[in-house]
Amino acid sequence: MKAETPGKSSFLPDFCNVRMVFVVVLIAELLAIVLTLVEDTFLIDGAANLALKSLFIQWMALFSIAALCLTRPYLSMISDFRAATVSYLLVLIVSLLISETAWWFDNNTPALGNLIPGTHAEFLLRTMGVSAIVNALALRYFFVQHQLRKNIESEAEARIQALQARIRPHFLFNCMNIIASLTRTQPRLAEEAIEDLSDLFRGSLGDAKQFSTLDEEFSLCRRYLRIEAHRLGKRLQVNWDIDELPMHARLPALTLQPLLENAIYHGIEPSNHGGIINISGKTAGNKIILWIDNPLPPPGYTVHHDGNQLALENTRQRMSAYYEGEGKLEIQSINDRYRVELTLPYHVENSSRR
Amino acid sequence: MLKILVVDDEQLARQRLISLVEELHPGQELIEADNGLAALEMASSHEPDIMLLDIRMPVMDGLEVAQHMSRCTNAPAIIFTTAYQDHALEAFDIHAIDYLLKPVRKERLKHALERARILHSTQVDQLRKLDPASQPRTHLSATVQGNLKLLRVSEIRYLRAEQKYVIAGWPNGELLLDEALTSLEQEFQDRFFRVHRNALVALEYIDALIQAKNGTYSVKLHGVSSMLQVSRRNLSHLRKRLKKFPSNH
Repeated sequence: MKAETPGKSSFLPDFCNVRMVFVVVLIAELLAIVLTLVEDTFLIDGAANLALKSLFIQWMALFSIAALCLTRPYLSMISDFRAATVSYLLVLIVSLLISETAWWFDNNTPALGNLIPGTHAEFLLRTMGVSAIVNALALRYFFVQHQLRKNIESEAEARIQALQARIRPHFLFNCMNIIASLTRTQPRLAEEAIEDLSDLFRGSLGDAKQFSTLDEEFSLCRRYLRIEAHRLGKRLQVNWDIDELPMHARLPALTLQPLLENAIYHGIEPSNHGGIINISGKTAGNKIILWIDNPLPPPGYTVHHDGNQLALENTRQRMSAYYEGEGKLEIQSINDRYRVELTLPYHVENSSRR
Repeated sequence: MLKILVVDDEQLARQRLISLVEELHPGQELIEADNGLAALEMASSHEPDIMLLDIRMPVMDGLEVAQHMSRCTNAPAIIFTTAYQDHALEAFDIHAIDYLLKPVRKERLKHALERARILHSTQVDQLRKLDPASQPRTHLSATVQGNLKLLRVSEIRYLRAEQKYVIAGWPNGELLLDEALTSLEQEFQDRFFRVHRNALVALEYIDALIQAKNGTYSVKLHGVSSMLQVSRRNLSHLRKRLKKFPSNH
């Protein structure tokens, strides 16, 4: 788990970064221009007004950046929600302080003349109102941008992991060995194994599409199972119970095969007499629920590599990214079996759209 | 005529090796086994001259098979086969142990069969120690009147040093092992705990810690009648360990 922490980045960008400072200054200036443009007196004293507003807003922006930069070590340690709340309040406090300072200067420096119209309360209400709204918009923007980046990352990771599983030396060379063996005795099966292996590679390489249908996902699973069946023989038994499912339903590509691979790696391979893998599913309302379950590995057996745990984690991440909380992956250990439950939202009207 | 035992959990892999051997040396006697334990049984009943042994297998891996075999008086020559062995192949070279990479080439197999030889037990023990992925053995073995006797590690209640031997105790008796207690302690540290200078007990089977009238402590182990004394030095360690590892019995 520790190895993953560097990857977990806060959704707040690095405000100590010069580029970020420039972006914020730019946004602040645009805000100043917008505020100047909407005033009735724009044509009369636009330039002076803009200068004044820029001065005020830039002060706020720069102090806010400084505050966020200084608190960054703390903000990156707490949860996203807390970090958002704390940074929001921080910027509001900075706005308040700058507004108060501006008001104080305006009233105590006679040389400036009275630049700020209205009462103290009016001034504070206006500045704090604008600050609260702009601040909220900026946070939302950073959050959405972060989500987008995270989705792209987990998407790429899924492909890489699937590819790594394909070129995992044990799988690859054992496949080659199987094909070499079949070539002598059953050339037609050898041919089929090569075709299946090619499809598996294709599925995990770049030219694959992002979405596929249940039908396509299951057919990839079948190809994969056919190869494993050559290796594992009678040890591998698979039960399918998926007749109830709408085969045209869409789901992220490469969702099921890695889960199946997991099931075989942990449930079948370590056991001498093998076992049964159940693949089942049903529709419930506007949801599709899929189960893949396998026997637990024999006691005392320890896993050599943990790439598989990563595959589960990645699928979970993709589910929540694609379906925004409506899709999920759950793991249960029931009696002597290990079960992965996958829930996908299913909408009849848009599922036919490909 | 040579007798060759082909061991691999994948049937197609065995089939290919067998047909390659038949092409190279027609008329040999070829037998097969699909896991390590079955291989040991076949080896003791058929006494093969050469064993083509896959490393990664369920139940018992090839290296453990070799460890048990190398303790036998009539051990066969062993040639390992493997699809991939991470960094361990260097260790094979260091100990001059022959291996074939799958898919096996006919010429390589020919060469290996010609110079196949019997492994020395220290060779295999060392090899296993060097392999970072190696797991503790699933069985311990001893030769009793020339026959290989295997004892499942999960059945063993205690390991007690006596002179230059170690006695393994389980509900059906005791077995004399030609091993050192310290290396057993190291290999099975998750399973056994040292209660005395000369004894390890299986944590899983500890039923009770009993104090005698003279103040000394002993452990009662599930399924065996003999009690093992706990030295004063190890008593507190044992108590701490037992808290973390509640007994199932």
